[in-house]
Amino acid sequence: MGGFLETILAFMDKGGNVLWLIAILVFVMWTLIFERLWFFTFVWRKEVFETINAWESRSERKSWNAKQIRSQLLSVSREDIHANLNVITTLVALCPLLGLLGTVTGMIEVFNVMAVTGGGDAKSMAGGVERATIPTMAGMVAALSGLFANTYIQRIADREQELLEDQLTSDH
Amino acid sequence: MKSLNNMVSALVLGGLVAMSSSVMAQDDAAAPAAPEPDLRAEAAENLNELLEFVKQGQVTEASENRQREQRFAAAKANQAQMLKDAEAERAREERRSAELEDTFEANELLIADKQEQLRERLGALTELFGHLTAASGDLKSNLEVSLVSAQYPDRGLFLEELIDKMSTSDRLPNIEEIERVWYEMLREITETGKVVSFNTEVATASGERAPRDVVRIGAFNVIDTEGNYLAYDNDHLAVLPRQPSGNYTSWAAELANASSGMHRFGIDPTGPTGGSFLAAIIDSPNLEERWHQGGYVGYAITAVGAFAFLLAIFRVLVLTGVSAKVSKQLKSDKANDNNPLGRVLKVHEDNPSMDLETLELKMSEAVMRETPKLESGLTLLKIIAAVAPLMGLLGTVTGMIITFQAITIFGAGDPKAMAGGISGALITTVLGLLVAIPTVLLHTLVNGRAQRIIHVLTEQATGIVAAHSEASSK
Repeated sequence: MGGFLETILAFMDKGGNVLWLIAILVFVMWTLIFERLWFFTFVWRKEVFETINAWESRSERKSWNAKQIRSQLLSVSREDIHANLNVITTLVALCPLLGLLGTVTGMIEVFNVMAVTGGGDAKSMAGGVERATIPTMAGMVAALSGLFANTYIQRIADREQELLEDQLTSDH
Repeated sequence: MKSLNNMVSALVLGGLVAMSSSVMAQDDAAAPAAPEPDLRAEAAENLNELLEFVKQGQVTEASENRQREQRFAAAKANQAQMLKDAEAERAREERRSAELEDTFEANELLIADKQEQLRERLGALTELFGHLTAASGDLKSNLEVSLVSAQYPDRGLFLEELIDKMSTSDRLPNIEEIERVWYEMLREITETGKVVSFNTEVATASGERAPRDVVRIGAFNVIDTEGNYLAYDNDHLAVLPRQPSGNYTSWAAELANASSGMHRFGIDPTGPTGGSFLAAIIDSPNLEERWHQGGYVGYAITAVGAFAFLLAIFRVLVLTGVSAKVSKQLKSDKANDNNPLGRVLKVHEDNPSMDLETLELKMSEAVMRETPKLESGLTLLKIIAAVAPLMGLLGTVTGMIITFQAITIFGAGDPKAMAGGISGALITTVLGLLVAIPTVLLHTLVNGRAQRIIHVLTEQATGIVAAHSEASSK
């Protein structure tokens, strides 16, 4: 376990400070993703039950009032379903940008060193470029992992919304 | 003979005088003869007088010759005696010469003998002295650049004297001097491993020299008590005009004022060989200088970013206020027109008897009026988030163009200049990303808040009206 942590720290050290930013971003992103999964697994069932109850307990379900109240119920539940989904999408989009930032700052560092030493050493330059590309790779991996989870959650959200709409039946 | 010479000169000059008096001045100056012939020439007014002079000269010449002949005759008797003396003298000197030659040869043999003896006796010592000279020379050149010399300045002088002594053939170093070389070498080695504080003369950035407490870290760096790094050259310490950026100077100050324990310090491993790492750190631009490298595009990106940040903060504050009021409105029964939801609900409150279709239309009209106010600034934030990286790219490309134009003019002989140009050009990309990333996040935040309120208005306002009318009809 200690060896694993050491490997992680060595990797972080190699890639530079931007990797920590990406790590924080990934942490926040996955926290939000797990929060959504938790919500759909445990909280959402209860909310669906309450919403359906509130609808079914009405005396009539076909007047203008009933229609407006149904759309209000759906709107409230939609807000709950879609909470934080936009933030997750944004975070997924930001990962490659942060990776790019890390690469560009790394490149600046490489060229800065070249400007001082004269760039006679191709080895050290290649080493610097290699280190500079690490954040891009990390950003890509983070974005990919988030992208799949995000698509999955979006699909769950849309499906649950539709299911709820189907369950709140109007009388005709 | 002398008078004959004079006479000839007089003749020549007389002729010249007769030819042209104007040339005479020049000839006077150029004539190598003494002024005497000139006087005569002046005296000779015509050729006849000159002839007279010559005649007189001949007369005096003849009398002189006669006198000389008499002298020679008188001396003739002496000549034989003088010759004899001279021959005796020669014989004596020849004998002496032979004697000296003998001595010389004997001495030559002696010298060869002695040299052989010297060589034999020196034996291994010759080699030793060769090594000693070489080692002293190496040590001297090492000590000249060593920071330890700032503390012990007189070491080079001793080595110089020793090398001088060994390069002459008639003196040999004594055992104390040889031991001192050894001592200096050992002292250099031990001092390299020490962190010591001492007082010495330091030149400040303004050129004044004053005694100051300094701390030497081995042979790597010298710092003063304020944390400034010092340079050592030409046998004195000077404060570096530009200090390394970052925490280095504060660490140095901490170390310089500490009495014991472990301390963090930025040490230059290349210190003993010129300190190129420290120079590189000092030469590399700090954050502000890097920002300035971005040029006008960099400033523009910064301005746009600052604007976006302020706008987003302002919108977040406004929307938070509105959102709080809307939440309050959701809980109360009476429509309050200090918030969008209240204004939408007021449509129903003001016209309670309106038929449902008209009410719905009127309410959606009210929502339409509220939406732009809630969404204001959002598009701008989105545009800035999209444009900032593009501006960064623009700055980088223009920077690259400038760099490559410079290469077209000056050639690619200096990779330093090229690398510096590219490094500077990339700054705008960084600035663009640094603006875009927070702006995207802020846009999401502001957009989330705005959309929540808009959803309440579009989807829940009519529901609230319906709930109210149902409650009141019961």
